[in-house]
Amino acid sequence: MGGMDDLYREQILEHHRRPHNQAPLAAPSVSLEGRNPNCGDVINLQLQLDDAGVITDVAFSGRGCAISQAGTSLITDELRGKSVDEILGLGSPFVMELLGVEVGPSRIHCALLGLETTQKALATLRTT
Amino acid sequence: MGAWHNANGTLDPVKVRAAYPILATTPGGRPLHYLDSAATAQRPQRVVDAVSNYLLTANANPHRGSYTLGQMATEGYEGARARIAKYLNVPASELVMLGSATEALNLVARSWGKANLRRGDVVLVTEAEHHANLIPWQQITREMDADLEFIPVDDITGEILWDRLDSLMKLKPKIVAVGHVSNVLGSIAPLAQIAEAAHAVGALLCVDGCQAVANMPVSIPDLGADFYAFSAHKMGGLFSGGGLWARADLLAEMAPIETGGDMIRGVRLRDADFAEGTQRFEAGTPDASGAVALAAACDLLDEFGRDKIHAHESLMLERVLRELPEVLPDARILGPRDASQRAGLVAFSSDLVHAHDLAEILDRRGVAIRAGHHCAMPLHEQLELSASARVSVAPYTTNDDLDALFAGLRDARTVFER
Ligand SMILES: Cc1ncc(COP(=O)(O)O)c(C=O)c1O
Repeated sequence: MGGMDDLYREQILEHHRRPHNQAPLAAPSVSLEGRNPNCGDVINLQLQLDDAGVITDVAFSGRGCAISQAGTSLITDELRGKSVDEILGLGSPFVMELLGVEVGPSRIHCALLGLETTQKALATLRTT
Repeated sequence: MGAWHNANGTLDPVKVRAAYPILATTPGGRPLHYLDSAATAQRPQRVVDAVSNYLLTANANPHRGSYTLGQMATEGYEGARARIAKYLNVPASELVMLGSATEALNLVARSWGKANLRRGDVVLVTEAEHHANLIPWQQITREMDADLEFIPVDDITGEILWDRLDSLMKLKPKIVAVGHVSNVLGSIAPLAQIAEAAHAVGALLCVDGCQAVANMPVSIPDLGADFYAFSAHKMGGLFSGGGLWARADLLAEMAPIETGGDMIRGVRLRDADFAEGTQRFEAGTPDASGAVALAAACDLLDEFGRDKIHAHESLMLERVLRELPEVLPDARILGPRDASQRAGLVAFSSDLVHAHDLAEILDRRGVAIRAGHHCAMPLHEQLELSASARVSVAPYTTNDDLDALFAGLRDARTVFER
């Protein structure tokens, strides 16, 4: 059960049990719901940006599997102080590093839900 | 009793397993405990042999070749239709062979619905339907300016509230569309009661039989249905294949939704006359090999005996329903608690372990279950669930498979209770 212990390491379970960044923002610059249509994992993400396009605050709520919720918790911890461009440049290796484990193809969408929702939210800011 | 049964006549799943080579394989180096037959059943060797035999000895375009081999191809295809019709106890002339149950339900909605629904007419479905028996009705009611109404489910157990039928019939629906067995709740719909209520107000009854045909005896004329859809790959046939039975008088009046070769009587440059009977709905070269495969699957299921399959699966489900709360105390079982009201499957959720995490952990023991919304998103919304875990059984499910399931559930508890 080695692989299982990797995926369900104490750090991941801790983020799943007590996800970070849960306090809703008073006036978010952008909010977006992210969903895995095949699994039903869902998060509601809020981002606060300053005039220079740097993230100053973040919050989320959601329900879904441990990987989706812990993945989102971990990524939200990393967002403050980063610029939109920096975040749009991040990819799955960054999330794998945060999770500390290589997630297989059947769970990769769970792991990336937080990052991808963040990127989509920022992209909507760009186009509006 | 033949090769598949115990001395007392009950089905012996260990003997049955010999018919399904995949069950002896070890994907990822682990023995396979396949508990996802509701998504797609495993294929018997005999089905694969029937397909290769047909393709290697009788292959030509059915309905087109006038030479001997062409006749053999046609006979293979039409013989398969007759065999499948017999399995469902209907005349072959009323059985439309299609690519899937999804196609069959779209045919009813788009052909019958288009011709018969008017502005303000009501179509009644349950809140628990598979998307295949929901979205086609959403589409056609929107197109025809008709209304879609729902037989509700219990917010906690998900059980369909059939006692609401009588009051819903006051809406005078034109058609009632329900699953014979719910692919999430596992419950068997009281079709006799539904048919009586529907027919009393002049409504038709369209049944999605996907989760029933492989798990229990189904004799369509005894059900009171007017349309009945089913899927080959849930029965041990190929991925492609399925069908629609429709009452002869309804079929005679329905227009095809797909047109082209093979479905015509005569064609001129500016118009065409369509063939009669089932052929009108089977445009293009038919999936004859899929039909031959499904006929072979029907042969095998009948050798097992569908009453015996149902009895065996009920025993397996009884054990799941009994032991699940012991192994995973916070399990919320969806659908009836009583195995006798079910066929084929049990789905549940747990706040401790999300369905995906459960499926992942079970996979480490080779246990394959389904996690997700099982193409019934509105039902899960109604239950305030993002997903559920579904265990489904088959003639080849053994206590050994369930032992592995429960061992895996204990693993999951250990991980998440840490
Ligand atoms: C209840 C139910 N209806 C419809 C379908 C769709 O059947 P098919 O795969 O043949 O389109 C399924 C299977 O996914 C099902 O379980």
